[in-house]
Amino acid sequence: MVREFKLPDVGEGVSEGEIVTWLVEEGDPVSEDQPVAEVETDKAIVEVPSPVNGTVREIIPGEGEVVPVGDVIITFDVEGEPVEDQTEGEAKRAGEADSEADAEPTAPDAGDSEEVSTGEGRVFAAPSARRLARELGVDIAAVEGSGPSGRVTDRDVRAAAEPGESSDTSDDGADERDEALAAAEEPVGDDVAATREQGAQPTTEDFSAPAESADRDRTLAAPATRRIADERGVDLNAVPATEQRDGEAFVTEQAVREYAEAQQRAQRADAAGSAGAGAESGERVERVQYKGVRKTIGEAMSNSKFTAPHVTHHDTAVVDELVATRERLKPRADEQGIRLTYMPFVMKAVVAALKRHPKLNAELDEEAGEILRKNYYNVGVATATDAGLMVPVVENVDGKGLLQISSEVNELVQKARDRSIAREELQGSTFTVTNFGAIGGEYATPILNHPEVGILGIGELKQRPVVEDGEVVAKHTLPISLTIDHRIVDGADAAAFANTFMEYVENPELLLLE
Amino acid sequence: MVVGDISTGTDVLVIGAGPGGYVAAIRAGQLDLDVTLVEKDAYGGTCLNYGCIPSKAMITASDLAHEAGHAEEMGIYADPEVEMGEMVGWKDGVVDQLTGGVEKLCKANGVELMEGRAEFAGENSARVVHGGDGQGAETVEFEHAIVSTGSRPIEVPGFDFGDEPVLDSRQALALAEVPESLVIVGAGYIGMELAGVFAKLGTDVTVVEMLDSVLPAYEDDLARPVKKNAESLGVDFHFGEAASGWEEAGDGITVATEDEDGEVSEFGAEKVLVAVGRDPVTDTLELSNAGVETTDAGFIETDDRARSNVEHVFAVGDVAGEPMLAHKASKEGQVAAEVIAGEPAALDYQAVPAAVFTDPEIATVGLTEAEADEEGFEPTVGQFPFNASGRALTTGHAEGFVRVVADEPSGFLLGAQIVGPEASELIAELGFAIEMGATLEDVASTIHTHPTLSEAVMEAAENALDHAIHTLNR
Repeated sequence: MVREFKLPDVGEGVSEGEIVTWLVEEGDPVSEDQPVAEVETDKAIVEVPSPVNGTVREIIPGEGEVVPVGDVIITFDVEGEPVEDQTEGEAKRAGEADSEADAEPTAPDAGDSEEVSTGEGRVFAAPSARRLARELGVDIAAVEGSGPSGRVTDRDVRAAAEPGESSDTSDDGADERDEALAAAEEPVGDDVAATREQGAQPTTEDFSAPAESADRDRTLAAPATRRIADERGVDLNAVPATEQRDGEAFVTEQAVREYAEAQQRAQRADAAGSAGAGAESGERVERVQYKGVRKTIGEAMSNSKFTAPHVTHHDTAVVDELVATRERLKPRADEQGIRLTYMPFVMKAVVAALKRHPKLNAELDEEAGEILRKNYYNVGVATATDAGLMVPVVENVDGKGLLQISSEVNELVQKARDRSIAREELQGSTFTVTNFGAIGGEYATPILNHPEVGILGIGELKQRPVVEDGEVVAKHTLPISLTIDHRIVDGADAAAFANTFMEYVENPELLLLE
Repeated sequence: MVVGDISTGTDVLVIGAGPGGYVAAIRAGQLDLDVTLVEKDAYGGTCLNYGCIPSKAMITASDLAHEAGHAEEMGIYADPEVEMGEMVGWKDGVVDQLTGGVEKLCKANGVELMEGRAEFAGENSARVVHGGDGQGAETVEFEHAIVSTGSRPIEVPGFDFGDEPVLDSRQALALAEVPESLVIVGAGYIGMELAGVFAKLGTDVTVVEMLDSVLPAYEDDLARPVKKNAESLGVDFHFGEAASGWEEAGDGITVATEDEDGEVSEFGAEKVLVAVGRDPVTDTLELSNAGVETTDAGFIETDDRARSNVEHVFAVGDVAGEPMLAHKASKEGQVAAEVIAGEPAALDYQAVPAAVFTDPEIATVGLTEAEADEEGFEPTVGQFPFNASGRALTTGHAEGFVRVVADEPSGFLLGAQIVGPEASELIAELGFAIEMGATLEDVASTIHTHPTLSEAVMEAAENALDHAIHTLNR
């Protein structure tokens, strides 16, 4: 009995995961709950445990592949059950792999995602092309279009009707495929790719030198084609024209794509050709994939910044008292093995200020048209990690003492940095503190941890000149940058909150009253 | 063969000289075929003589009279006086010019014109009975026949178009005086266009419709501005009532209606106009003599070459089925002629535009969102309101919107619906775009003249792509 194991939903809202590492190989014995793979979701790396005792039969996605939740990633032969020859799933996957290999050389267009949804029996082609198809006896429904989104052009129709080729394009595809595969069987490295490319051209005649620049002054093209050229950084005047219209060169979308690809191939070839020099100088631009945690951060930031109108309020607290208090308490904390930082003081002061200014411990439910005022205080602590920004959450800060907060923050930050933090530990904050000053700097404009409506940025705590009784004196100061969601919090609220917060950090004994 | 008949032979016999028939005849003539075009009444058919053209002339004239008298907002004060007889005379002049032109074009293309009513006598012969006493008849032997006899208004039981106060659309467009009051039976496009004409000329108009809305063939949001505007012109609507009869009452008449529960209402008026739809004219043709079959509703079923079940008999226009539209008839006529000449023509259009010349106008082409969904597309729509169009505001007519429907994954345009100023003209661009297999991006990326109403088309496409400038994107 074969047990198929699907990528589980490893956390709320996660739709896909990247297989980072396989911890087992095919044929390895496994026991139940033994980790078999590390999967990176958009928040963290999680280990995927084996569901059974048995042997690893098949590992499906390779390392680095991104897999949707629910896809089979590994199969097991279950201990004590007879071993099967080939399962349905395996047969299907084998079939898919074959057809993918077949399809590859016949599908030069990268525009797969642009195919028409369905719309039975409908052919997208100009009336003139439809008429031409009738004249040439071509079934236009069977012609593969090379125009924008697969529109069938005059040229496609003529190509389908050309002598030597049957008018049924699926047959053409088969011929080309055979050629390409035959060529591919000869193991000659790069040449194989070149032959495949050539075999992929529906008509090679007009297109003998796709990488060559045409350098015209004027080129006709459909607006959608121009857009693709822009996106690909292709100069339309350089693309070899496949047709003429009114005596002017006319360029199709396919020609632009092919030209762009040819250019890229040429660049890669150049890079490979000058391998020695290239290795020293390195690539001018390195392309790093925008995915995983990086992408999650990016999307969250865009969403927050473009949803909530941000306003940032700056001020500076004079915190000699706080510095002294911490100095006094630090040895006591050390005795209990806890490193006491300023963060717990800041968090307690934040909660005290939130209690006085509940507008900042809130959330806007736009759909319901309601403002949610929260009567609990979970404080997120923005943390820089190698993978990017993470925000671990300390729950119910109002009910916890300084030492407990301190130890929880230290533990969460550590877990975030080594990426062993659980999803739940990154969720549910009502307000966030970001300590950019730990790295250096006075003021910033923090972005809200949406849907929260307040985030407090802490600058570097150090001695700065302060005017006291007309004299400039050196004092420990703490610059703060408070960003609020101006939809439901006004500048006056922000200033009032900041004042309360500063009152607490300037007079830490007030925390005793909390 | 009846004694006294003369016999002639022709390659192509075209029966009916409306926009389907005369176009087929001219095209056949261009293709060097020997063509005979038979018409029993007037060249140009219903469209030129009693339908599209005269109604548009009367709509324009009544609009002008109405607008001139209602432009105080622009600082214009006038009280135009309408001489109905002169207005109708002007309209007749326009019609005469066009029908004369059709006759000349036919002759110039070598089309043999024959007056009379044709009926099939056999598979390859027809009798043409000339009008008037003692004019006789003649037999025409043909290789191919194109049936383009059009349609006629449906009569509602109890309303005989022969009775003086009962009007069909043709009679309504030829009145000598503006009626004081008018009951219109039917809120389809003919009823609604004429309701507008007469309301603007000062007639008290009552519209009685069996269904529950105006223009039931169109989406609600398209029909709504038309109903609203008609109401503001004083048109009185009664839905869910069927006209059951009329009787004379004093100087005028009383029209009786009945609702579903049998409740009877009565409306007094000077005249009653019945516009509840049109039936194909196939019953006078003796089609069975040629072996041509019709559907229960009287239509001749055709294939994509406009061919009937008989290989050499073609049918175009209203007789070939809905939609009954002159431009569809013309396209079918062209294709029929080309097929007969051996050309590789076919009816392979993607969409047939349609326009209703109400105030505001409605025009549609291709699929609605719901239809696109039914056909298996993943439709996306974009919409642009005319009250955000600079040009629309400067014309004083800024009600309505342009809506485009496209396939989301590919961006291909599938349809469009417009209600508003010049909708009938604006739809042409979208029809062209759909025929060309254009995408939303193509329409959105094409520069449109400013300030024109056509910018609304571009903005609607941009809206579907979520980047319209002058309206909020969804």
